Amino acid sequence: MGNCRQFPTFFIACFKEKGGLFVNSKKKGMTLIAKQKAAGWAFLTPATLMIAVMSFYPMVRAFIISLQTGTGANMRFAEPIFNNYKRMLADKVFKQSIGNTFFYLIIQVPIMLVLAILLAQLLNNRDLKLKGFFRTCVFLPCATSLVSYALIFRSLFAEDGLINTILVKLHILESGYNFLGNSASAKIVIIIALVWRWTGYNMVFYLSGLQNIEYSVYEAAKIDGANGWKTFWKITVPLLKPTIIMTFIMSINGTLQLFDESVNLTKGGPANSTITMSHYVYNTCFINVPNFGYASAMAFLIFIMVAVLAFINLKVGDTRD
Amino acid sequence: MKKKFLSVLLAGAMVLSLAACGNSGESSDDSSAKTEEDGGGSEGGNKLTVWAWDQTFNIKAMEMAGEQYAKDHEGFELEVIETSSDDCQTKLTTCGNSGDYGTMADIVLMQDNSYQKFLKSYPDAFTDLTDCGINWDDFATLKQSYSMVDDKHYGVPYDNGVCAAFYRTDVLDEAGYKIEDLTDITWSEFIKIGEDVHKKTGKYLLTSESTGGDTIMLMIQSCGANFVNEDGEAFIVGNETAEKCIDLYTEMIEKDVVKLVNNWDEYIKTVTNGEAAGIVNGNWMNATLVGIEDQKGLWQITTLPKVDGVDTATNYANNGGSSWYITSNCQNVELAMDFLKSTFGSSTEFYDSILPATSGIACYLPAGESEVYNEPVEFYGGQPIYSTLVEYSSHIPEFTKTPYHYEARECVNTAIINITNGTSKEDALKEAQETLEFKMTE
Repeated sequence: MGNCRQFPTFFIACFKEKGGLFVNSKKKGMTLIAKQKAAGWAFLTPATLMIAVMSFYPMVRAFIISLQTGTGANMRFAEPIFNNYKRMLADKVFKQSIGNTFFYLIIQVPIMLVLAILLAQLLNNRDLKLKGFFRTCVFLPCATSLVSYALIFRSLFAEDGLINTILVKLHILESGYNFLGNSASAKIVIIIALVWRWTGYNMVFYLSGLQNIEYSVYEAAKIDGANGWKTFWKITVPLLKPTIIMTFIMSINGTLQLFDESVNLTKGGPANSTITMSHYVYNTCFINVPNFGYASAMAFLIFIMVAVLAFINLKVGDTRD
Repeated sequence: MKKKFLSVLLAGAMVLSLAACGNSGESSDDSSAKTEEDGGGSEGGNKLTVWAWDQTFNIKAMEMAGEQYAKDHEGFELEVIETSSDDCQTKLTTCGNSGDYGTMADIVLMQDNSYQKFLKSYPDAFTDLTDCGINWDDFATLKQSYSMVDDKHYGVPYDNGVCAAFYRTDVLDEAGYKIEDLTDITWSEFIKIGEDVHKKTGKYLLTSESTGGDTIMLMIQSCGANFVNEDGEAFIVGNETAEKCIDLYTEMIEKDVVKLVNNWDEYIKTVTNGEAAGIVNGNWMNATLVGIEDQKGLWQITTLPKVDGVDTATNYANNGGSSWYITSNCQNVELAMDFLKSTFGSSTEFYDSILPATSGIACYLPAGESEVYNEPVEFYGGQPIYSTLVEYSSHIPEFTKTPYHYEARECVNTAIINITNGTSKEDALKEAQETLEFKMTE
């Protein structure tokens, strides 16, 4: 730990030194502040340009495409102009995919975040041995790629996969159960997979949030006679609030754009009961007769949903009067 | 401090070297793209690039074609770039939508079932091959029709998709049946035998994917029908043939004749672990089967069951072959046309040479008469399956193609799952009809 503490001071020392050099060698014409400002802009510009080109331009372009219709390369502007958006209202499969995605969202996100906060609390314990080891273990699922972990879950839950073999050996089941062939169980498998994959990721945020809470606050609470439960709700949760809101927004964002699990675990089946919005958008472009206009419109709707939910989340979490 | 510095250095080195890997990969891609462009008129154009999948089959055949052509044409060069079937289609979609075909190869392999979809969506991507000198009558009319629009040819037929019923003779024996009992039967007879086999041996006479399965498609196409009418409109409700097929298929699911699996891996697994006593699919299943050493000599092929009570029903169908097309990015169309014509399009010699090497069955009809095709195949207990399959392929009825093949397949498979889960047939079919109609509008 000692090393860690020294590290920032070392850097600050470096900066001071550099700053010193900088001041001495500065040419006339620009004041130090103007120079610093210019440097700031210089650092900002590449990133800003990149975001504008890679992110904002495609967004605008996607919106324009979403107003067009036609298969493949024969695109023209729709009549009426918002026809693609109107079309969504009549699209049963898309509605089903919205239902599925929100089902995952409502069930999975709370379970995952509660688990993450509990794990973070446990692993933040000062007296815990092998802390680093446990933290790594919980975080490790995040190091696997989305496709490969989905494939692993697929084989785990196959009819003769590990889970079924264990259940049969323990005489809980008589023969293998087709988890992925049944709409209810297929959804549950996807939720389990998501929880496994993302809990550790969120835990890391909580852990860093917890480490920013001064231990003396807890000591003071202890002296005042607060028990563990009370400390958790009155100290940990309020002080972690910004982190909680951030993880919520990220999880909502991630879940609404869920794709790999639906494609690789279940192919959206059986009978579209596990298909997600993004998966359906993909199908519209690359599996079915390509209709990029309609697909863009759906993608734009997902974007709006994410934005609205994130906005609500921020408002709910805002404690300023 | 030293340690920290070292670890940062190491991590940095790793990231940089990995980034370099990525770069070199890209730059080689770039160079291949460049050579594609150069492959055109600028350099005299003796080089063609090809995208195809499957090392043991398509790619091998294409490479052999290149070698053969190079013998008579000095300086001819052929580069085959392995590209999965999905990637070939995704790349075409992205190129088509951006309107820039500059990154495409000269010749690309395409699934027959996808042809109509892409011909409708990106007509610019293809080269009209009608007058390239191939005698089109040398190919079965059905096979040709996959890659045709308005009587124009856009594909050189290659991989045959003729279907066969593959059965495990040892399992049939155990249940008291012979391959002859399953030859030229109807699906309801098949169901009876299948039930019996499942009861006696616990094995399934058929397996199929529940999402994206082809069985229902080849059932209806064996009747010369489809889930669209002649005008290309969705035709599920009121389509007697379709209803008969769906009835038979749901009956098979309910009676444990067919085992529904969730994906292709599980489909193959039912064969490798011996759960499947039968497979009904394109002849390309052969490539998978012959790889299973311990089942050597146990398999035999015969005709498909046919749909009961439909006048046009046959025991033959086609599923999932592929054909070559020349992209609009090809700078030397003449060379590409001549190459395809003199190998895949007219040379029995060529087909004779690729059969032993790839066990791929040609669509080129004159090739089927060759002796190589009549040789017995050990894996199938000495059955001469190649000539048998070529013979089957001449009986497949034609049917109306649709660009919305995958949509129709999805809608019908969804309806079938819904019916087995308790939805009334009427409601399920109505929903399938409506969904398919919806997908056909813009």
